Amino acid sequence: MSLQFLLNGLVNGSMIGLGAIGITLTYSILRFSNFAHGDFMAWGAYAALAVVGVLGGSTPLKPLSFGWPLMTALVVAMALTALLALVLDWLLFARLRARGQSIIVVMASFGASMALRNLLEFVFTSRPAYYSRAIQIAMPLGLGIKITADQIALLLLTVVLVTGMHLFVQRSQRGREMRAYSQNPALARVIGIDVDAVVRATWIIGAALACASGVMVGTLVQLRPLMGLDLLLPIFAAAILGGIGSIPGAVLGGLVIGLSEAAAVQVIGAEWRAAVAFVILMAVLLIRPMGLFGVAER
Amino acid sequence: MTILQVQSLIAGYEPGLSIVRGASIHAAEAEIVVILGPNGAGKSSLIKAIAGLVPITGGQVLLDGRDITTVPAHLKIRQGLAFVPQTENIFPLMTVEENLRVSGGILPRAEVGPRIEEIYQTFPDLARQRALMAGSLSGGQRQMLAVARALIVRPRVLMLDEPSAGLSPKLVEQVFARLTEIRRSGLTIVLVEQNARAALAIGDRAYVLVEGHEAHEGPAATLWNDPVIAELYLGQRRAS
Ligand SMILES: Nc1ncnc2c1ncn2[C@@H]1O[C@H](COP(=O)(O)OP(=O)(O)O)[C@@H](O)[C@H]1O
Ligand SMILES: [Mg+2]
Repeated sequence: MSLQFLLNGLVNGSMIGLGAIGITLTYSILRFSNFAHGDFMAWGAYAALAVVGVLGGSTPLKPLSFGWPLMTALVVAMALTALLALVLDWLLFARLRARGQSIIVVMASFGASMALRNLLEFVFTSRPAYYSRAIQIAMPLGLGIKITADQIALLLLTVVLVTGMHLFVQRSQRGREMRAYSQNPALARVIGIDVDAVVRATWIIGAALACASGVMVGTLVQLRPLMGLDLLLPIFAAAILGGIGSIPGAVLGGLVIGLSEAAAVQVIGAEWRAAVAFVILMAVLLIRPMGLFGVAER
Repeated sequence: MTILQVQSLIAGYEPGLSIVRGASIHAAEAEIVVILGPNGAGKSSLIKAIAGLVPITGGQVLLDGRDITTVPAHLKIRQGLAFVPQTENIFPLMTVEENLRVSGGILPRAEVGPRIEEIYQTFPDLARQRALMAGSLSGGQRQMLAVARALIVRPRVLMLDEPSAGLSPKLVEQVFARLTEIRRSGLTIVLVEQNARAALAIGDRAYVLVEGHEAHEGPAATLWNDPVIAELYLGQRRAS
């Protein structure tokens, strides 16, 4: 049996984990399940494609399949995706949140998800797109595992982004405010925390990381308007497995889901891949609803 | 000099249903004002309304002569009005130090560290427990942390909702002794209490709140023996 699935699982798990961070933050701070989060990934990926188109193709930085244009595009697209989330919040979610019924906000996110997806399909068509056609040569790592330069770069990117976010939430004042608000919104207001600023930070971080995840999928697989929808179940499963509110939990949950999916593909067959996240999600909800890092009652 | 003035305040959780019904209280600089009253009288609602957590539909709140009635809750602390709720008054999943640090957010950044050290001098127990999760503290220590957290920004008025609730008599004594000390620095304290005897012992003046407005007011020292109180509290006084 080839151990290649371990690497594939790790790479997939990184993308799922980055997406799950946004889910876990919106759930613990804004108190709703944002079903449009997968579409932030897709919009981020396509925004990067559009920016690459504007910057023009250039020779890739061998052995990577991409060069400076995609790296620049990633940063620009992260900012644009954050902007998209802020605009959506201002137009839709903030107004509904103010009425205090979280189920209505969840339904609105369903609607937003469909609208965003259709808009993407309308602009970019449903044909798959690619950042680059450059061919990657995989290098052997031993034990029958091969890795491409793109995979190494994107795994490193994940480590940098996750570490950065974790430090931000643990060490910065805004991060402390986000945690305080998620634990007790009324007390947070009493001690002078500006709720609007906390809400903005939550959207910016969640959307920017969703974009990074989408660009990873676009680089390693392909871009499709449905790419976000396909990742929705795994990212929710990862966030819940990790324990709502926990950033390290979301990433670990992503890795577990990614590895399980890859193992299922290897052992049972590719058609079972999509069922894995579902099975894990159900198991967690039944056995340990607070997840790996969650706290029983808030 | 009057620092906090509440005039004919009307407030409630739902439209058309007032819980605070025309309450008027005031507090002078460095004064400890006690608010007593039977269960459900609206004591908590009154100070929550002053803190900006319950919608106000009538009347006024003046702090140092400035009208802060409509100032949002998160800006009231910047005006010098601090509030310690009765329950859930700390962030349980943050350490003691993080609780203090996050509450110091409205201070200039460079002042936060030194201010936390000052707080640790006043509350040596908290200094020893700085790295512990606040949720793991005992009831008395939690209450101390909640008070310390409110003091970190050097408020002018500190409002507390039943800080003695759930504490042993010995701990109540400790918490109240700490409040008396703090008052010496010129802080005004508004103390809502069920524990009338302990509160009146450290208070200067007291109100009795009944059905959302003050039914009685007097010096703390004489209020305990006032027949009006005996009547309002009925069995409760004997029990306490
Ligand atoms: N969050 C709330 N929503 C609706 N009604 C409330 C809320 N909190 C308190 N009340 C009502 O307000 C009244 C006064 O309660 P409260 O202010 O807690 O009184 P006290 O602190 O004097 O015991 C009670 O009748 C209570 O049912
Ligand atoms: Mg009360």
